[in-house]
Amino acid sequence: MKTQRKADIIVGCGVALFGVFILFASMFITGGAAHRLPPRTFPIVVGSLLLLCGIALAIKNWSLKGADLAIHWPDSEGIRTIAVTLVSLGFYIALMDPLGLPLATFFYLAFSIWYLKRSKWLMAIVISLIIAVISHYLFIRLLGLSFPAGFLFE
Amino acid sequence: MGFSFDYLIQGFVTALSWQNLFWALVGCFIGTLVGVLPGIGPVSGIAILLPLTTVLPPTSAIIMMAAIYYGAMYGGSTTAIVVNIPGEASSVPTAMDGYEMAKQGKAGPALAISAIGSFFAGTISVVALTLFAPMLAEFAVVFGPPEYFALMFMGLSLVISLSGRALLKGVISMALGLTAALIGQDPLTGAARLTFGTSTLNAGVDFISVIVGLFAISEVMINVEQRITAIDTMSISDWMPTWADIKQCGWTMVRGTGVGFFLGLLPGCAPSVTTFVAYDLEKRVSKHPERFGRGAIEGVCAPEAANNATSTAGFIPLFSFGLPTAPSMAVMLGGLMMYGLQPGPMLFQTSPQFVWAVIASMYIGNVMLLVLNLPLVGMWAKICKIPFYILGPIIVFCAMIGTYSIRFQAFDVWVMLLFGVIGYFMRKLGYPVAPMVLSSVLAQMLETSMGQALLISQGSPLIFFTRPISAIFMALAFVSIGRGIWSQVKAKAPEAVTDDAEY
Repeated sequence: MKTQRKADIIVGCGVALFGVFILFASMFITGGAAHRLPPRTFPIVVGSLLLLCGIALAIKNWSLKGADLAIHWPDSEGIRTIAVTLVSLGFYIALMDPLGLPLATFFYLAFSIWYLKRSKWLMAIVISLIIAVISHYLFIRLLGLSFPAGFLFE
Repeated sequence: MGFSFDYLIQGFVTALSWQNLFWALVGCFIGTLVGVLPGIGPVSGIAILLPLTTVLPPTSAIIMMAAIYYGAMYGGSTTAIVVNIPGEASSVPTAMDGYEMAKQGKAGPALAISAIGSFFAGTISVVALTLFAPMLAEFAVVFGPPEYFALMFMGLSLVISLSGRALLKGVISMALGLTAALIGQDPLTGAARLTFGTSTLNAGVDFISVIVGLFAISEVMINVEQRITAIDTMSISDWMPTWADIKQCGWTMVRGTGVGFFLGLLPGCAPSVTTFVAYDLEKRVSKHPERFGRGAIEGVCAPEAANNATSTAGFIPLFSFGLPTAPSMAVMLGGLMMYGLQPGPMLFQTSPQFVWAVIASMYIGNVMLLVLNLPLVGMWAKICKIPFYILGPIIVFCAMIGTYSIRFQAFDVWVMLLFGVIGYFMRKLGYPVAPMVLSSVLAQMLETSMGQALLISQGSPLIFFTRPISAIFMALAFVSIGRGIWSQVKAKAPEAVTDDAEY
């Protein structure tokens, strides 16, 4: 998907397939009575819209001629940084319940700041520690929000 | 119920309570911070903080939310002027002359005139909001389900103006937002839809997760990809503009306010549009148009006045009709709904204390922002220097806190992550994000009002075309859709999107 045209054709087909999937899933929605809007109406409308627009986007770009636009994808270093950012966020979410908000926050921030700027490891630890402690006292103690406190603070 | 001084005074009494003053100040501070920090805009800022305000009473919470919104509009100019990074598309015209002024050692006067212009426009627009919103609400009080459906339908047809030249992509974005909103229980019958038998999906996808993912997470991904590290700033010494500067900008503020306010009333007319119009108008009426782009102080003042006027004008359709004209207003609408308040004509009748307190707080908030912005200009400029390797993870942390606190379920945060990835690809592939936000917020109201209207008409869709107000809205929606389709048919280039996603 290096150019806009190619990307639009591929995404258009994908959207159309997703529309078919929504239409198929809508068939299993039950309920509704006379003079009432059946619950499957909107999903059917949306599925049809996705199907039609996906096909239209693909066809329009298929038949397009002339200058095309390039898509600026990240280089390999950029892809790696994005992937690490997303995976670390995934770990943050997954560790939230078992470790609790303060500890999960400390690990996430310390790792992310260190990963984005390797030379600043001490700063990463200090900032993460401060924010982790603040998060515990502000959100759990002061505001009384139901975040998991974790084994350290329970 | 039209405009009443008694209600306004009552509103001031409520807004001036210590508690509400405190939350307005907190909102102004956070809002300015959100505006100043690159990588986080007003929409994601409000969306992240919205669930956290559940610990506050509704009036204090919405006062704080409104303060964050117009605070962010004030703060957005700082990065544009000091470091030439417009935090939002609406700050681009400010950067053109503001940064040039900063290079000439006049960053202080540029920041100060932007604060003064914003204060002037904000105050005049709140006066207009005070007078017009109740009048419009009085007109809209006759609205029933068919009129509401037609209004929401017209609201969705805004995707055409929000999509730029990418209509098909805009409609796809809207349909994806609707799909997310349809997951869960049907609002009228309670039947499970698109849940695939899982109990987690039964509770539905919260629109806050969608918005925070689309804006905050995807923004972090874009910044991480570009490996933004540190930003150099200029030193600021004299921050007060001269009397001649203020005099020079007198009529500029008036024109900027007029352009911003009246265009801001139109659905889909975002600050990113009105600021450019105001800048262009100023250049046209100037005796020395050649100074624009080279550090003209009017070039800073006009877009900033227009920006704040447009932001305030957006509250008029929101309070009077319950119609969000921009993603930021859609988030505000979600906030009102979260507190069990239904924006629209009945809001002035059922919750007058609330609505007038919020309006009164805007007068106070504008003064607070001026006080906060003028002397603290140097401090805000220094905050711009926070490097992204610290700021990025902190933005993700804030997004996590905001999303998790919606229902205290990890599921909502996974949804945020998913929509962050979707938002990243949408930006890369030129899909407008705004239609998805608008549709995910409007979906339930649209469906509920349609269901109720069809119940009244015993299943006949003609009800939407036989009632005059509803017929007008439907006609406007179809004209808007027809115009969009026509421009699509004529277009020969690949679909391109305008950069108005964040406002």
